[in-house]
Amino acid sequence: MLPLNIDHVTKHYGKDVVVDDLTFTVAPGRVTCFLGPNGAGKSTTMKILLDLAKADHGHATIGGTRYRDLRNPARAVGVVLEPNAFHPARSGRNHLRIIAEGAGIDPDRITRVLDAVGLAHAADRHVGDYSLGMRQRLGLAAALLGDPPVLVLDEPGNGLDPQGIRWLRGLLRDRAAAGGTVFVSSHLLAEVEQLADDVVVINQGQLVASGELASLQRAGITVRTPAPDELTQILQLAGATVHAGRDGELVVRGLPIDKIGDRAQAAGITLHELTPMAGSLEELFLDWTGTEEATAGGAPAAKDAHTDREAVLL
Amino acid sequence: MTSLALVRAEIRKLTTTKLPWAFLAVLLMIAALDAAVVAFGTDMGGSKAFIATPTDQKSLMAFAFNAMIGTALFGATAAAREYGHATVVPTFLTTPRRHRAVLAQLTSVLAAGATLALIGQALVVTGVAVALRSTQYGFMVPAPDLIQLLAATTLAGGVGAVMGAGLGAVIRNIGGAVTSVVLVLFVLPPLAAQLLTEAAPWIPTSLFAVISGTSRDVRLWAALIAVAAWALVPAGAGLVAVQRRDVV
Repeated sequence: MLPLNIDHVTKHYGKDVVVDDLTFTVAPGRVTCFLGPNGAGKSTTMKILLDLAKADHGHATIGGTRYRDLRNPARAVGVVLEPNAFHPARSGRNHLRIIAEGAGIDPDRITRVLDAVGLAHAADRHVGDYSLGMRQRLGLAAALLGDPPVLVLDEPGNGLDPQGIRWLRGLLRDRAAAGGTVFVSSHLLAEVEQLADDVVVINQGQLVASGELASLQRAGITVRTPAPDELTQILQLAGATVHAGRDGELVVRGLPIDKIGDRAQAAGITLHELTPMAGSLEELFLDWTGTEEATAGGAPAAKDAHTDREAVLL
Repeated sequence: MTSLALVRAEIRKLTTTKLPWAFLAVLLMIAALDAAVVAFGTDMGGSKAFIATPTDQKSLMAFAFNAMIGTALFGATAAAREYGHATVVPTFLTTPRRHRAVLAQLTSVLAAGATLALIGQALVVTGVAVALRSTQYGFMVPAPDLIQLLAATTLAGGVGAVMGAGLGAVIRNIGGAVTSVVLVLFVLPPLAAQLLTEAAPWIPTSLFAVISGTSRDVRLWAALIAVAAWALVPAGAGLVAVQRRDVV
């Protein structure tokens, strides 16, 4: 049972803060999906966890141990990080042989993982001739080579066909059910909804939401009122996060439904609707990250992530 | 993991692509060219005086500096392509103590460079020996000199490969790494020799002439140390750069 801990990690590249005081835990026995818009800092966070990049502040551990201090990292952590980390003129089998040899893994595992990922038929072909999906399968084969209890996968579903996605989902769920730690970044939100027990969402390097997906999906409350500005002010003072919804309603997070009603009544504000939300992950994601505004306006996401984070931590 | 396992993995990296075979093909071409020169070439006067003595024959076959150039390009390509193809990522995931991964790579390119150079020298000697049969001169180089030639070239191959790998690890781009090898071996030494006369005996061509036994500009042990420095300085720079850098 190896939890992953990201503890106050900050990373700058030049003047850009790529990861900003990020703290979260990935629990064993669960599938945790890591979400965020492009450039949010997901890959950098994973690289810091795997000692491929150095944090400026804070640290990341796997079961309390830094990656570089693990006795045999390839047997402890399976990783898919770069979609094209292969020499195109080398065969898939030789790619795995090199990893197995360097990590002291029984070469018999190579045939087994190639079978498991459905790549046995192409194992002796050059990787340069592989499709994106086949490369992704080879990356997964490499991750599974040491039969590790922890999987850290960056966009593992990219390029996989529907059968492949289904197979991957089953694999990750099985691993988590067996007590493994599964940490997966993905942009396929529909897939995440089916796969994730927990989610960690970051935006501009900062944590904006984390926790059990089902709870987070229920965490919003829709409020309709003829005095939205006044109510927004009151609820924000009470520590809630308030956004305008698409149809003029307010979306409130971080305050229980009864407290919202009580505060509105105390202020003499009429409410036309007060209902718990059961939003899709896509709606939540756009809400958390402000991506929709960014896309519509062509400007960087302007949402105050700090406020969001406070809401989640409340 | 044991260092031996890491070196084995690095050697498998080298042998599972076409890179060593391409260099082997070049060596064959060089040997064939040398043989052709011996068989068909003449000097200005139309004679074959350039192969008339054991020293002439030895000088003709001396392959050490060529081996250093070739294996430096080999080492630079082998190291830089690791970054170009991002295959360094699985390497560092398997071996997060990066100095161990770099040392394993340097060991593997040293072995591969030395082997390629030895094969190249053996091919040149064989080609020249065969070609000499078509002339009035026999193969005159005595066995101890031949062994010295083979040893010097093997050393040059190892040194060149380590130097190239060091530059490749610093530059991380095949084109840039190859260019840096050309600068370090072709531009820097003559420039240094021109600016500072005392530097002339310490450039690779002079040093390998000493090690091959075709020159006595400096003592053998001093030449060996200087040649090692030509490899170890770039290798050390590569080691430091890899330790400090993020994999992005």
